[in-house]
Amino acid sequence: MRSIYVSTEEGLAHLLGAVQADEVYAAVRRERGPEYCNLRARPEAEPALREPRPSASPKAFLQPATERVAVYSATGVDAERSCPACGRRALVGLRACDLVAIEYLDKVFRGGDVADPFYEARRTSELLISVDCVAVHENCFCTAVGGRPFAESGFDLNITPLEEGYLVEVGSERGQEVIDRAGDAVCPATDEDLRRRDARREASLEQLRQQTGDWRVSDRIQEALLAKDEAKAWGEEAAKCVECAACTFICPTCHCFYLYDQVGGGEEFERVRTWDSCILGDYHRMAGPAGAKPSPRPGLRTRFANRMLHKYAFSPMQYGLLGCTGCGRCIEACYGQIDIRDVLRGFEE
Amino acid sequence: MTLNVEANPYAPQVACLSRVIAETPTIKTFCFDLDEPLAFRAGQFVQLGVPGLGEGPFTPSSSPLTPEHLEVTVLRTGEVTERLHRMQAGDACLLRGPYGKGFPVEKLEGKDVLVVGGGVGLAPLRALIYQLLSMTDRLGRVVIKNGARETAELLFRRQYDEWASHKNVSMEITIDKAEPGWTGNVGVVTTILENVPNEVDVRNCYAFTCGPEIMLKFATQKLLEKGLTAEQIYLSMNRRMSCGIGKCGRCNIGPYYLCKDGPDICYAKIKDYPNVFP
Ligand SMILES: Cc1cc2nc3c(=O)[nH]c(=O)nc-3n(C[C@H](O)[C@H](O)[C@H](O)COP(=O)(O)OP(=O)(O)OC[C@H]3O[C@@H](n4cnc5c(N)ncnc54)[C@H](O)[C@@H]3O)c2cc1C
Ligand code: SF4
Ligand code: FES
Repeated sequence: MRSIYVSTEEGLAHLLGAVQADEVYAAVRRERGPEYCNLRARPEAEPALREPRPSASPKAFLQPATERVAVYSATGVDAERSCPACGRRALVGLRACDLVAIEYLDKVFRGGDVADPFYEARRTSELLISVDCVAVHENCFCTAVGGRPFAESGFDLNITPLEEGYLVEVGSERGQEVIDRAGDAVCPATDEDLRRRDARREASLEQLRQQTGDWRVSDRIQEALLAKDEAKAWGEEAAKCVECAACTFICPTCHCFYLYDQVGGGEEFERVRTWDSCILGDYHRMAGPAGAKPSPRPGLRTRFANRMLHKYAFSPMQYGLLGCTGCGRCIEACYGQIDIRDVLRGFEE
Repeated sequence: MTLNVEANPYAPQVACLSRVIAETPTIKTFCFDLDEPLAFRAGQFVQLGVPGLGEGPFTPSSSPLTPEHLEVTVLRTGEVTERLHRMQAGDACLLRGPYGKGFPVEKLEGKDVLVVGGGVGLAPLRALIYQLLSMTDRLGRVVIKNGARETAELLFRRQYDEWASHKNVSMEITIDKAEPGWTGNVGVVTTILENVPNEVDVRNCYAFTCGPEIMLKFATQKLLEKGLTAEQIYLSMNRRMSCGIGKCGRCNIGPYYLCKDGPDICYAKIKDYPNVFP
């Protein structure tokens, strides 16, 4: 049996104050919608726990857009400055779909023959506090890809906003430690509290039913995607795409990166990792004389197809998970007004 | 030794060149005498780089049996390779690896082996050839086919006679266009694959090919035509790479990352996915 507690509005503020971390990032209320900010630097900011998910995904806290991964000179690597370092950090207000994305990123960066020590350092020092979606964004379709608008695992603490106050579920020892430090800011939940939580969750599910109906991305999608002859198909979608890569940068699971070297200070050089995107032409381009560098995916339609295939066909084969959490962020990010739901539904027909 | 991989897979080791060999007008071999041997399997690759400029994937051309002496053979074709070609003995390079699976040498006992190279593609295959030459008593026939644009671009030409002198080993060369004094075959690599069914037992052999994409495509077609199955054909596929460890995403064919699941990959595994060949 999981430990579940209730708290008042102020109780929750105390609880977040009891988190032992140097940085506490939460999506907070802003005029143009919720945005992540560090509560320890901006204590007056109000966590946006009753709003729909923020447009930004928490990916950057796990894999930053750019990051130095090595420092070296002509005589060798500066081992100390090439090591990962991450202070104690907490992420507050992650949605269930964000936790699914973290599960996916874990498979990529912690799994395989070689783990990524930079990701690992952040993952082990970050406390994950998720929140149920009591308001659902109009682009959300988590239920269509096997998700739900509330988390049942993968968190240290999970918050359910109730009509009044909050319900807090403990998911790990580290989460329990926060509860213990919070003292009387929380008290054990009653059966009545749990019933209220169930009702809140059912209401969110109902909201999703209204916007996505019974639509489910099924296993057939893999076959359908692979069967699609990309030379002929994909033209319509690709014609709308302006190749900005916003969809992949905003995506909570997209994780492609590029390593480049640059001159550091003095005699030193740095190796930097930066986000990259499979939509961009240079991403696949191989070596060759100027003007004649071959690419296995020279056309935008082949790259668009590869993005879709990776999310819905290859990821399940590689990691046992779809590369899409149904967060719908790419829909509001796209300059070409491509709605991934429409692209997917096209296959179901 | 595995270079820094345990601690930080992205950090290179700095290694000084012990020798540079000019092989052809466009290809040079870079030799390293490493303090700690870099143990690799034939076909596995390293990331070789220039300090401050960047790195690229290259498959060692030296013998996996002498890991303390590493050789990488490089075609001059772009930014990093231009700078490498200007380097001399004593200059510092960056190295990390090895990465990938390498050729499935353990599958070859009792089999005939067909090795098909084109241009600088013979470089990765030389590591395999050294390995095969060390185990000819456990193999059937070893047939090496190699092509280049012109005689000046024939890589490792000084070694061909020695390779062919081993028991059960044969070697055939072709150049794309006729040249005065050339009495061998003229035509692309596929033209010297016509006779394959008489040179190996097509039902009991493996083929390994490495070269430009277009050559891989036509060599594969030719081998299938000659009776090999997709399971018997291994391709050394080239893709843009960065991390080398299956994380950065760029080198995929279908669900496979060539850096991790290849770069030498069985054609049967990839043939039904998009964008295998140009
Ligand atoms: C597994 C494997 C093994 C290989 N083995 C060998 C081998 O043994 N011998 C051999 O000769 N070749 C080999 N190659 C090919 C070799 O890796 C390329 O020829 C080499 O990387 C070319 O590098 P370059 O910088 O000279 O070429 P460029 O064409 O200058 O660059 C290579 C790639 O990097 C990109 N790039 C270059 N500069 C920049 C920049 N400033 N910013 C962003 N992107 C940039 C280009 O778009 C291009 O796709 C192998 C390739 C693979 C995948
Ligand atoms: S966001 Fe839209 S326009 Fe931009 S790359 Fe993605 S699909 Fe193309
Ligand atoms: S080179 Fe990064 S995934 Fe293959």
